Formats: sequence, C-alpha cells, structure tokens
Amino acid sequence: MAVMEATKGAPPEPPDQRWVWLRLIARDRKAMVGLIVLAVMTLAAIFAPFLTPYDPSAQDFAMIGAPSWAHPLGTDDLGRDLLTRLIYGARISLFVGTSTVFMALVAGVVLGVSAGYYGGWLDTIIMRYIDLQWAFPNFIIAVYLVAVFGTGLSNVIVAISLAFVDDFARIARGMVLTIKEEQYIAAARTVGASDNRIMWRHILPNASAPIIVQATVSVSYAILAEAGLSFLGLGVQSDTPTWGLILADSRSFISRAWWLGFYPGLFIMVTVLSINFLGDALRDLFDVRESKDIGAN
Amino acid sequence: MRMIPKTLTGQEKATIETELKQAYDFDPKDPLFGLTRQQLGGPELHRRSVLRLMAAAGTLTAWHLMPGSGIKAARAASGGHLKAGWAGVGEFRTLDPAQINQVLLFQIASNILSGLTHINPQLVAQGDLAADWSVSDDGREWIFNLREGVTFHNGDPFTADDVVFTYNRSKNPQNSIHSRVLSNVTDMVKIDDHTVKILLGAPQASFLTKTLERASGRAMTIVSRGGLEQLGESQYGLTPVGTGPFKVASHTLGQSIVLERFENYYDPERPKLDKVTIIPIIDAEPLAAAIEAGDIQFIGGNPVAPELIDRFEANSDLIVNIVPGPGFQSVWMNPWREPFKVPDFNKPVSELMKEKGFKVRLAIAKALDRDRYIERAQFGRAVPAYGTINPAMGFYFDEALGEDSNQKYDLEAARRLLAEAGYPNGEGFPTLKILNTPSARREVQVIKDILKRNLNINIELDTKDFPVLIDEFDRMDWDMTRIGSGGDYDPDDGLVDWMQTSSKFNGRNRDKEKMPFGIFSDAEVDRLTDEQRLQSDPQKRKEMVQKVNKITSDKVACAFIYHPVDAQIRHKSVNFPAESRIPGLVDFDLTTIS
Amino acid sequence: MSGFIFKRSLWAIVVMWAVATLVFFMLRIVPGDPIAAMLFDVGDPAAADELRRKFGLDQPVYIQYFKWFGRLLVGDLGNSIYGSRIEVSRVIWEALPRTLSLTALSFLIALVIAIPAGLISALKRHSALDHAVTFVAFLGLSMPDFWIAILLIITFAANLQWLPAIGYSPLSEGFWPWFSHLILPSIAIGTPFAAIMARMIRSSMLEVLRTEYMQVARSKGLLKLRLVMVHAFPNALIPVVTVMGIALALLLAGTIVVENVFSIKGLGRVLIQGILDRDYPIVQGAILVVSFIFVFANLLVDVLYTIIDPRIRYD
Repeated sequence: MAVMEATKGAPPEPPDQRWVWLRLIARDRKAMVGLIVLAVMTLAAIFAPFLTPYDPSAQDFAMIGAPSWAHPLGTDDLGRDLLTRLIYGARISLFVGTSTVFMALVAGVVLGVSAGYYGGWLDTIIMRYIDLQWAFPNFIIAVYLVAVFGTGLSNVIVAISLAFVDDFARIARGMVLTIKEEQYIAAARTVGASDNRIMWRHILPNASAPIIVQATVSVSYAILAEAGLSFLGLGVQSDTPTWGLILADSRSFISRAWWLGFYPGLFIMVTVLSINFLGDALRDLFDVRESKDIGAN
Repeated sequence: MRMIPKTLTGQEKATIETELKQAYDFDPKDPLFGLTRQQLGGPELHRRSVLRLMAAAGTLTAWHLMPGSGIKAARAASGGHLKAGWAGVGEFRTLDPAQINQVLLFQIASNILSGLTHINPQLVAQGDLAADWSVSDDGREWIFNLREGVTFHNGDPFTADDVVFTYNRSKNPQNSIHSRVLSNVTDMVKIDDHTVKILLGAPQASFLTKTLERASGRAMTIVSRGGLEQLGESQYGLTPVGTGPFKVASHTLGQSIVLERFENYYDPERPKLDKVTIIPIIDAEPLAAAIEAGDIQFIGGNPVAPELIDRFEANSDLIVNIVPGPGFQSVWMNPWREPFKVPDFNKPVSELMKEKGFKVRLAIAKALDRDRYIERAQFGRAVPAYGTINPAMGFYFDEALGEDSNQKYDLEAARRLLAEAGYPNGEGFPTLKILNTPSARREVQVIKDILKRNLNINIELDTKDFPVLIDEFDRMDWDMTRIGSGGDYDPDDGLVDWMQTSSKFNGRNRDKEKMPFGIFSDAEVDRLTDEQRLQSDPQKRKEMVQKVNKITSDKVACAFIYHPVDAQIRHKSVNFPAESRIPGLVDFDLTTIS
Repeated sequence: MSGFIFKRSLWAIVVMWAVATLVFFMLRIVPGDPIAAMLFDVGDPAAADELRRKFGLDQPVYIQYFKWFGRLLVGDLGNSIYGSRIEVSRVIWEALPRTLSLTALSFLIALVIAIPAGLISALKRHSALDHAVTFVAFLGLSMPDFWIAILLIITFAANLQWLPAIGYSPLSEGFWPWFSHLILPSIAIGTPFAAIMARMIRSSMLEVLRTEYMQVARSKGLLKLRLVMVHAFPNALIPVVTVMGIALALLLAGTIVVENVFSIKGLGRVLIQGILDRDYPIVQGAILVVSFIFVFANLLVDVLYTIIDPRIRYD
C-alpha cells in the first residue's frame, strides 16, 4: 500500500552524497517532526529507569486516579502510574517493531534476491509460496501463526516476522529482475565475479531504496500488529506493559477512566504517525534520486 | 467484608436460633430423620420438615434462615418483555441438563425444564412435576404420584415413562456427567402412567432436596424423549424441550436466547412475563453500559466483576443484592519444587515447622495480606479465606479460623520464617513463575506486588489459556498456580475434590514415580474426609469438617486467599419476588415488570 | 481472457488447499489439550479417553487428515468440541452475515468520506484544505482501529448514550437497530481505510488532471465541474480498483479486532475465541472461510481489473 505521491520539485545538486538524505528530509517539516519524536521516544525507552520517578509495577497509588500533577496521565486500576508504564511500553513496541522487520527484511531479501537472480524452479517454488502469503493481509497471517504457535511475546515476534516476509521478498525480487539486465551487471559477470558477489555486492545496494522505504512502512504496521495481538489477548501474557495490553486492560474501566483508554492509543498513534511521516519523506527522496539516476543513464 | 448488610433484630435472631435448634433435634440413626411418614410425604413438605432434611443432609445454613429481602410492593400486572444480561460468558454452549457443568447455564435451564420437586426460598418443598409422594418406613422406597395434565413444550404429554427415560439417560456416564448423583438410586420403576417407584440403597436425607430437585439435582431434571429424538442431542442442547414455564423461542449461539411464555404450563398463574431475552455479555464494561442504558434490566450468570458493584450501588435505578458465594481461590505452591519443597506432610505441624521448605511455604502464606488483596483486587468485595470451606456452606464455615490458623497474616513472622529458611529479606530467593488464566491476570498482579513489598521476592506471571494451564497443572509442571473452585455448596466439593491424595485435582497426570502425591497429601486428612462423607449426624460432621479444614490450613496445603461473593443486580422496575431468590438460581416464573 | 480466468481460478483453489492443509497440521502439534480443559470439573480419565475416541483424536494424524478432508469436500466442517458440539458450519453460517454487513457498511462509510476528501484535495491542490485533508488522512491511517473503537464507545455509548455499545441486530428485526449497532464499529474499521483511499484518489486524480487532454478541456473553463465528474473522476478510479482486493482484505482484518471490541459474533470473534479455547475445529473452519473470502475477493478483483482495463497484460 505504498502510495506514490506526486514528485516534488527536484532539489539542487548535493555536494555530499551521504548527508543529502538528512538535508532532504529537513526540507520536509513533517518528516523532521517525525524524526525528532522517534528519537525522543527511543531515548526515553532506553533510559526509562532514569527518567521515570516511579516503577512501572509499583501499585502504590490510588486506584483509577485522574491525571494530576503527581501523575500527569493518571493511574490505572491497580494504582500504577500510567505515564511510567507507557514509557516502558515503548520499549516493547519499538523493540518488536524493529526486530521483526529486521528479521523479515533479511529473510525476505535473501529469498527474493535468490529467486530473482537464479530464476527457474527456485524462483517458481519461492514465489509460489510468497504469492500464497501475499494473498492475505499480514495481520491475519500473524493471527493464524499465533493460533498455531501459541500466545506470548516470543511467539508474537516470530509470527510477525514471518508474516511480513512477503513484502520484502516481492520487492527484492522485482528489483533484482530489473537490475540484473543492467549493463554493469553484465560487465561484472564478464570480469568473472561470482554469483554471490554479484547478488550482494552489486545488485543489492542498488535495490536498497525501495526496500528501505518498505522497511519504514513495515515497522509502523508491525507496531500496530503487536498492539493488535496483545489487545486481543494473543500477545504478551505477563504483566510487562505493552501499549496494546494496557489498552485491553482499560476496557473494564473505560467509563470511569477515559485516560486509560485514551493515552495508550495516543502513544501508538504518535509513534506510527512519526514513522509514516519519515517513510513518506524517504519515499519522496528515493523517487527523486531514482528518477535522477535513471535519467542520467 | 460488606457481605451481609442487614443487622438482625433480637426477635429475628431468636427465631433463627430456635429454627436451627429444632432442625438439628433428631436421632441421626432414624431413617426418616425424626419425621413421620406423613411429614415426609407430599404434596408439600412443611418448612420445618425441609429444614430438618437439610440439616440431616448438612446443607442447612444460617443464611438460609435469614429473613428474605425483596420487593414487597404490590405485584404488577403480568406481561412484558424482560431483557437480561448474563455476565462473564460469551455463549451458552449447552442447556442439556446432562451436560451442564456451570451454574450460569443451569440458571437458564431451570426456567425451561422441571424436576419432580422444587424448593423455594421459604424452604418449603413443593411438588413440581410430582403432585404427591410417600416414603416407606425404612426410608428406602419412595412412591411418586405425578401431576396430571402436564405437557411438554412440543405437545407431548408428560408421563411416568419420561421419568424413567430421564433416569436411564442420566445414570449412564456416557450420556451425563452427573451420573454420580444417582449412585444411591438402585432402581426406578413405572407403576402406571402417573406413578413411579424409586428405590434407594440407603436412606438419603438429601434425596428430595438435592437428587430430585431441579436446582442442584439436575440428574433428574426431566427431559423430553420426543424432543431429543426429533432434534438430536446437539440441537436439543441449544433449544431444549421441557415442561417448564418458559419455552425456547429461538437461540442464536453467542448472541441471545429468547424464552417465551408456555401457554400450557400446568400452573395458569405462571409465568407472568410474556418473554425473556437472555444475552451473554462477557466483558464487564459492556455489561455495565447495557444495564445503565436500559438495554437490559437484569444481570445473572457468572459473578459480576467486583469493580462494577460500587458503580451499581451508586446508581439509584438499580437494586443490588449480595449474598455469600460458594467457592475459594488460592495460591498453590508445588511441594516438589524448591524452595518450598515438602516431600512428606505426614508429620505434626511442629515437626514441619523445622523444615526449610515448609518455612518458605508458611512465610508466603503469612505474608499474603488478604485485606489489602481484597481491597485492591476485588474492590473490597470478598471474604478472606483460610480453607476450602466457604461461608455459603454456612453451618460448616469456621469463622474463627482466621484467628487460629497457622496461615494467619503476620508480617513479622513471615519475614522471620523466610530469613530462617535462608533468604533474609528475600535475598537469594529465586524468581518463580505463577501460572494463571487471562481472566485472573489482574488479581495475580496484586499478589505479585504484595509478595514483593512484604517479602521482597519476585514472582513472574505466566499467563496461559485455560486448556494449556490445566494440562500443566495436572502434570505438576509449575512453580506456583493461582486456581480455585466455584459452585461448592457442600463440604465434599472442597475437601474431596482438592484435599485428598486421590482428589481429582491432585496432580492426576503427574509422573507418579517421581511424585508420590501431587499438590498435597496427609493421611489424617484423607481419613477424616472419607469419614465425614458418611457421617449423617450433622454436629459430628461439622466437627470433622472443621478439623480437616484446619489441618489443611495449618499445614499450608496452599495459601488460601478469598471466597468470592454473589451479587444480583436488577433495575428497580423489575419485581423479582423474594420467593424466587433461591441460591444459585434465577427463576423468572414469578417476575414481573412495572 | 478466459484462459486467464481459468488459470487464476485454479491457482485460487490450490491456495485454499495449501492453507487448509497447513492449518490442519500445524494446529495438531500445538500444546494444550482441549479435552482436558472441557472435563476439568469432572476429572475422570476414562471419560476423557472416551471423548477423545469420540472425536477421533486418538488416531494417527494422517488418518485424521484424510477423514477431515473428505468431510470438507462435502461441506462438513466438523463440530465444536465444547458444550452441545454444534456444527462448525452452522456457527460460521450464522457469523457470516454479521461480518459481511460490517464489512459492507465500513466500505460504504469509507467511500463516503474518502471520495469527497480525495476529490477536494486534488482539485484544491496545495491549498490549506489540501494540507488539512492530507494531514487528517495521515492521522487516520496511524490510528489503531481498536483505539478508534474504544474512543467511539467512550463518547457515543458510555457518555452520550446515543448508540448501543455492543451486540448485533439482524436486518430482519428492523433497519435502525441493525444500523445503530453497526455504525460505530464501521466507523472504526472504515477510518484507516478511508484515509488510504482518500490519498489514492487524490494522487490518481492529480495524475489524470495533469494529462494534456484535461489541460485542454480545462481551458474551456465553465465546464469544469462536469469535466471532473464525468471524465476525470471515472478515469481516476481505475487504479483505485486495483487496491480493492487489498482493501477488502484490510477491511476484513479490521473486523477481526473490532468485532471483539463490540462483542459482535462475526467470523473474527469466532476465530479469536476459538484460538483462545483451543477449539481446533472452529479455528480450522474460521481460517478456511476467512481465507476463502480473501482468495475469492482477490480473484474477483483481478478479473474485474482485466475487464475494465484491457491494456493490462495477463501474466
């Protein structure tokens, strides 16, 4: 569901390749905001114990307390500070979001590149399976896998990783098919480069743009998937705070404690939004570069 | 303990005491329990007789004798459509009495099906499908004259054949999970179309009040042979055909069941309502929203989530009626795992107190601040527990146990014990896992917090769905588990099911080589439990039950936490007369809406 | 083209079979014995064995598979292992109209929001309105649907009490009850979808508007609205049809979660409840039917697309 926006005006020639990314993103205000929010959240998640005055499991306070100076986002039904729990919740969400996409990316790219490069029966087998998986939305596949493996955080990570492989495999294969006809590949082959070298040193770097864009999109969906699974009771089972679980627990108290239902969802939304802004900017960026490169050739 | 709200007048207390004394005033060896054949015969048992029978069976509780609460307003006209929500359940999987194992299901079935007898809250036993009955001198032969002119919902006439058919179906464990209830019945014979003879192996006090009664009995709840044949077992479980005041108009599994007035019910005065719709509502919040919005006017089913009770009490449109609930919940500690390993409970408590494993068990049990737990986990709506015998068992409940038990809350002692066991201030104590179901997650987090703040030990939640949890529990593959029981009206339900070495919940799938017993085993407990089952003298039975209960408590068979309460919530426009407030039932036959 | 349709249909059948088989085998190797859970209260190992035999759970797996597959081909999806052991096909048959109603209504609501939003955004490109719509669209697809559902419940059901919080009422019992029970969940499901659609329509419209044909026609000025609605818009919709398949899939995925929030017993709730109860036959049946709907929807969309746009190469 990558939506192609109309391209913006072409930027001026960048003097330094590596920092052009940052500069181009800086032009897009939304993306900058997104980047800052994500950076803040990541840092908060990492340094949570130092930042929060309370322990996320401490049931010391009044139960179902409305937001106040001592507890800016209120307390939950067991008397725990909500803000603290949400910050700790960021750890799981960000960790699951990034680790699952990383694993899906690695698996998907390996599969896709192999299929696209070698072709033949390998391609057929791999792509038949990938098409099979692609026919279904990732979340549904994750639910199916949890039905099979069982609930719990580690199973959720495996389930989401497997569910997202199809996106990367397809993109990787598509890129490989295009690139392998390029002249420089033929050149490398004449020089005697091995298949492996060609695949991973020559083709892949040039294919990376859409894969990276897909990765950002996938991270936001992975975070939503984990939240959804935990919300349904299929995810994290202990008392580790994750946003989806906090949201699910809030349902019994929803009419008395709107903050318990509002803030966890808000945190999810802000994170996903930030990633989407960033992803959008990256997509524009790579579109521009791609068209430039192709034009140059 | 906000359980029994009313304070009794001196007059009321005196009445209760007199009634209790009279009830227990008989010779336990008398096969007719101190009553005459006249008194035991139909067509109706008087209150004193019923009290006597219940006392003889040991099921009489002081609570049964309390003056009823209920609307004494003038009865509204009949008619109307009542919408009820059933709490904590997603769908009514079966209403076939032979398969029902949950009280919430029986609450519905009791409106559709009938038994031979029926007890109302005044404890007057009335004939339901039986018009009259008599008993032989030796108390083992009963003759029932069945009511004439009764028809099933499908038009079939009710005859003695149906009684015998139900008996034959229910006594077969392949058809019915309640076959054990009939173990004392040796035969049931049709004399003619409206007369049945029932033979017992031994005189049984609870025969009229349990076996035949459509409430706790169930084994002899009369089913329709024609209905079963026509619909098949599966469909019959969804839309049973019976002789009760309501018939099933439709049942959409998971959405609602609609009951309609049965025009040909044998009592033309009942039911009053035209229609009852019952909707399963599994989550707390939608349930509360539904009754507050008026989508439903009554809540039945599983116990209402405790967090909602305050909210309902504060609502002037709603009436909340709270009674003691039959059940208990505990934290179990695997006696085969460190650090609370106890390979042999067959020693006096003083000996056990010297063992390291036992010290840890006791420390944990004594550190569980039950009051704090009840306040935070149950919003104050529960009774602290020190044994499996709960307040709904009235007479048998030991109120003093909270003071006498070895498990009584004592923080200093708990900490001392833990230190003596080698874990001063929790140092070096391993992180243990506690098994629990998703619905208990909230409560277990409170337990975790209490143990952390009181003993400085860490336990981790291990939440598993029920099928997986049971599997692991039965195999003894766990450190700690939070599990308990409900629907326990008789001491047997607590002791026989949990505390004996042969109990069905006592690690039945464990590796028997490595583990001679499962969760607990004590020879004296085994012996006394067997004896109390056969004890017909209620005073003696009470003594035994309380003694056994104390042993299980002192020896920390588990760390008992609480007994739940049972709250009934209804809209003020619903007249649910006191006559219908029978423990465990929700009979709508006399209910009206104004 | 009929060759294409035939090939795609064949592929669809293969997919269905593969899913069914995978699910069947994988569910068997999972921990958690449902028979034990069912008999917890009764505690009789003999009864347990009896039940296992009754359900054929004691035979080797491959025999179970063939038996199951055979029954599948005649439409027998087996029975639930709990309670009255109701037929799975019946549970699904009763759940299906709810999920379909919900999906259809969500789709309509999404379109009602997305079409005007996308159009206005495209026509007034780069205006404040455009930026506002784009931003709101971003927001919409970043919000988890179960969160939207909860917020709607808080506002409209718990506080204002305009609408019911839970449940479902079939159309046969009146339009308004049916509608009032479905409107909140439909908004929850439809919102992220509307956001995606709005953006798609916007960019698609921009593409079309930029073509020379449009530029020329535009210079004639006064015919603008007619131009847009009669010429530009239908052309813009073509690429949108491509995402219909994905759209339907997304909507169904959304219903799984939202049905649980509103306690509507559609396919999603049946599936989740089955998973939590380890009720194998129900889970299998639900996965099969849900998968069938996706595969069928995709097939339909592919065929539709080739009909609409004959320029597409088929395979």
